[in-house]
Amino acid sequence: MPPVHHHLFKFSRLILQVLVLIAIWLLASYVSANWLGGFPPLVSGIAFALVLLALGLLKREWVNDGATWLMREMLLFFIPVAIAVLQYREQLSGKLIAIMVVIVASTACVMVATAFAVDLAWKLDARLRGTAEEKDPS
Amino acid sequence: MTLITGLFWLALTVVLYAASRGFHRRFPSPWLSPLIVVPAILIIALLLLRVPYAVYNSESHWLSAMLGPATVAFAVPIYDYRQTIRRHWLPLVVGVVVGMAVAVFSTVLFCRLLGLPELVERSLAVRSISTPFALAAATEVGGQSGLAAVFVIITGLVGMVMGEWLLGWLPVRSNLARGALFGAGAHAVGTATAHKRSPEEGVISSLVMIIAGILIVLLAPWFSHLI
Repeated sequence: MPPVHHHLFKFSRLILQVLVLIAIWLLASYVSANWLGGFPPLVSGIAFALVLLALGLLKREWVNDGATWLMREMLLFFIPVAIAVLQYREQLSGKLIAIMVVIVASTACVMVATAFAVDLAWKLDARLRGTAEEKDPS
Repeated sequence: MTLITGLFWLALTVVLYAASRGFHRRFPSPWLSPLIVVPAILIIALLLLRVPYAVYNSESHWLSAMLGPATVAFAVPIYDYRQTIRRHWLPLVVGVVVGMAVAVFSTVLFCRLLGLPELVERSLAVRSISTPFALAAATEVGGQSGLAAVFVIITGLVGMVMGEWLLGWLPVRSNLARGALFGAGAHAVGTATAHKRSPEEGVISSLVMIIAGILIVLLAPWFSHLI
C-alpha cells in the first residue's frame, strides 16, 4: 500500500491536468465565438490541442491522465442531458416502438454498409500500394 | 434554498453514478450501464417528488459543461495514433463517409416511413455519433439535444449487442472493417466492445468515432437544409 501523500500527489496532478484541458476548452470556445464566427468549439478545441501537441508546447504527459479520466467518466457528464427527456414526455408517448424500430434498422444498415465499405477500401488500399502483403493488418 | 436544492441533486447524481459504476463492474450487463440506471432512478425520483427539470438542472448543468473539456481530451488518442491514421487514411475516410451518410439517410427514410415527427427525426439523425458531438449537431439540424442524448444511448446499447452478432456471420476479413463497424454504428459504447475484442479494432473504432463526430458537427448546417 503506497503512502497517503502518494495518492494525494496523484490526485492533485489529475485535477491540474483536467484544469489544463478546461483552459484549452475555454480558450477554444472564446476564439470560436469571437473570431471564428461561431465555428463549432468542439472541433476548434480538438484542433487547438492537436496543434499544441504537435508543436511541443503541450507535452502529452501533462494531460494524459486528465484526458483518460475525462474520457472514462464521460458517462457522468451525459446524465443531466439524458434527464432532459422529462421535458419531452408528451411528444414521445406512443412513439417509442416506432423509434426503437428506426434505431435498430438504421444501426444495422450503418454497421453492414460500413464494414463492407471499409473491407473493400482496405483491399483497394493494399492493391494501390502494389504490395503482395494483402493480409490482415493486425 | 434553491442553491441547496440544486446542489443536492448535483451531489445525488454524482453519488448514484459512482455507486452504479461499481455495481456495473460486478454485473456487466448493458442494461445495468450507469447511463441507464442513474437517469431512470433520478427521473422516477423527480416525478414522484414533482420536481421540475429546471430545478434539477440548476446546478447539475455543471456536469454537462464538462463535456467540452472531455471532447478536447479526444486530441490525445488522435495524437497518439497519428501513424495509424496516416497508414490507413483511405479505409478510415471511407468508413466515416459511408457510415455517416447511411446513418443520416436511413434514419430520415425510416422515420418518414413510420410517420415520426420532424423534431424526433432530426434528433435521431445524429444518434450514431458520440454524445458531445451529437448534442452540438442536434440543435444545429433542428433537433433537440435531450432527445438526441437519449437516442445516442439507446443506439450504443443496441449497437453493442448487434455488432457482436453481425460479426458472427458477416464475411469481413480485416480488423479495420470490424473496428469501423463499431465506431460508426455504436460510438463510445461500441468502441469499448471493440477494445475488448482486440486492441486494433478498439483503436480503429475510436478513430472512426471521433472523426465521424467532427465531420457531422462541421456538416450539420448543410445537413439541415438537405433533410
